[in-house]
Amino acid sequence: MGVPLVTQSNELPTAGVELSHISKSFGSHLVLDDISMKVAPGSVTALIGPSGSGKSTLLRCVNLLEIPEAGTVTVGSKTVIAGRKVSEKDLLALRREVGMVFQSFNLFPHFSVLRNVAFPQERILGRSREEAEARALVLLERVGLKDKAHQHPGKCSGGQQQRIAIVRALALDPRAMLFDEPTSALDPEVGVEVLAVMRELASTGMTMIVVTHEMQFARDVGDHLVVMADGKIIEEGAPNAVMSDPREERTRRFLSAVLER
Amino acid sequence: MTVLLAVLAGLPLTLLVTVCAFAIGLVGGVPIMLGLRSRIFPVRIATRFLVDLIRGVPTIVWLFLLYFGFSFGNFRFNSLGAAVLGLGIISAAYLAEMYRGAFLVLAKGQSEAAQALGFGRRTTFVRILAPQAIRTALPSLTSYLLALVKDSSIASTIGVTEIVFAATTFARQNPESAGLTPFFFAAGVYLAVSIPLAVVARRLDTRLRRSF
Repeated sequence: MGVPLVTQSNELPTAGVELSHISKSFGSHLVLDDISMKVAPGSVTALIGPSGSGKSTLLRCVNLLEIPEAGTVTVGSKTVIAGRKVSEKDLLALRREVGMVFQSFNLFPHFSVLRNVAFPQERILGRSREEAEARALVLLERVGLKDKAHQHPGKCSGGQQQRIAIVRALALDPRAMLFDEPTSALDPEVGVEVLAVMRELASTGMTMIVVTHEMQFARDVGDHLVVMADGKIIEEGAPNAVMSDPREERTRRFLSAVLER
Repeated sequence: MTVLLAVLAGLPLTLLVTVCAFAIGLVGGVPIMLGLRSRIFPVRIATRFLVDLIRGVPTIVWLFLLYFGFSFGNFRFNSLGAAVLGLGIISAAYLAEMYRGAFLVLAKGQSEAAQALGFGRRTTFVRILAPQAIRTALPSLTSYLLALVKDSSIASTIGVTEIVFAATTFARQNPESAGLTPFFFAAGVYLAVSIPLAVVARRLDTRLRRSF
């Protein structure tokens, strides 16, 4: 009736992420042991766990910064099957769907802030320089950093650099965002600015996977909480439920260490 | 004054040998560095062997080998050609090592960020890693250039008429009056080239560094 049969695009603006039976080892050390995880489109998943539990490695498997030895990675409609040779084309197609923010920001020091945000758009999306820089300025303004556009990242504080890094990833219109301990390198006060940007992003319905030690953030913003230890998911569920009443002894120990300090 | 003029007559060839050899080194160092960083093990080993071979033999021996020992049909190098090529190849090997070192100290996060944004290997290398590596390598490149200005004097041994050759010739032609004078003048000319070069290099370096 009123509903058009063919829509403009049958892809959602945000993508779900599905990892199934992912295994990865470094040398003889098994870092990820047959892990499966599903992230619904538009939801926020917080990944927590002791250091060395494999949570960062798992996150890096989503955009194939680490190529798992076995398993499949699906983002939206793009699937990569690990274990066979992954072609450069498939790799880039999948990475195009996902934005990533690192603990150490990793802005390009030889570019101005504006070029940091604009250059990837020109390269990856083929936008013109004017178009890319206009979009960059809009996004920078939204995180309160328009006045930094013509400086080099080295002149910005950690919190500012991280917000720029978020903007750089968002400018490519990703359908899911990965955050690898985005506030761990920041003073607590500065981290708040970054968390505020992430909260806003979550409220717009972006699919997010966040490796974090910020329990408050995980509880408030997270739709789903995944607890990892020794390369396995030991517990998952609604953040409030897991945090107030963990089933596993290992989860209990970890939570009491991070919550009751 | 005739001494100074006689020594200065060698300056053009000193500069020519230095500039040409350094240019060969700057360009030739790139493929050698790529070989040293290759993901293919045999390529890496072969390049490593080549670099160690080039650096392990004294410059003067390379020049002698190229000048006296190399012929292809009727072709033989003249003294200038042998000097430029010899010093150029040696420069390429040293500069390749400097390039490689500069890439090594780049934070790993830089290539990861580039990968995560979806850049291909070429874009990552040319637009993200190389510009940063060049800035890191710049001080060692300029000190190599300064050393090369002086090393070009080795070309005098195969008859390139550069500064030291000119000084030696003058001393031989005036055995009773010249003494060490031509060599003091030669030292002065080298300083007159090296010191401004060093100043310019330092300025350039601070300027680039400030923008980081």
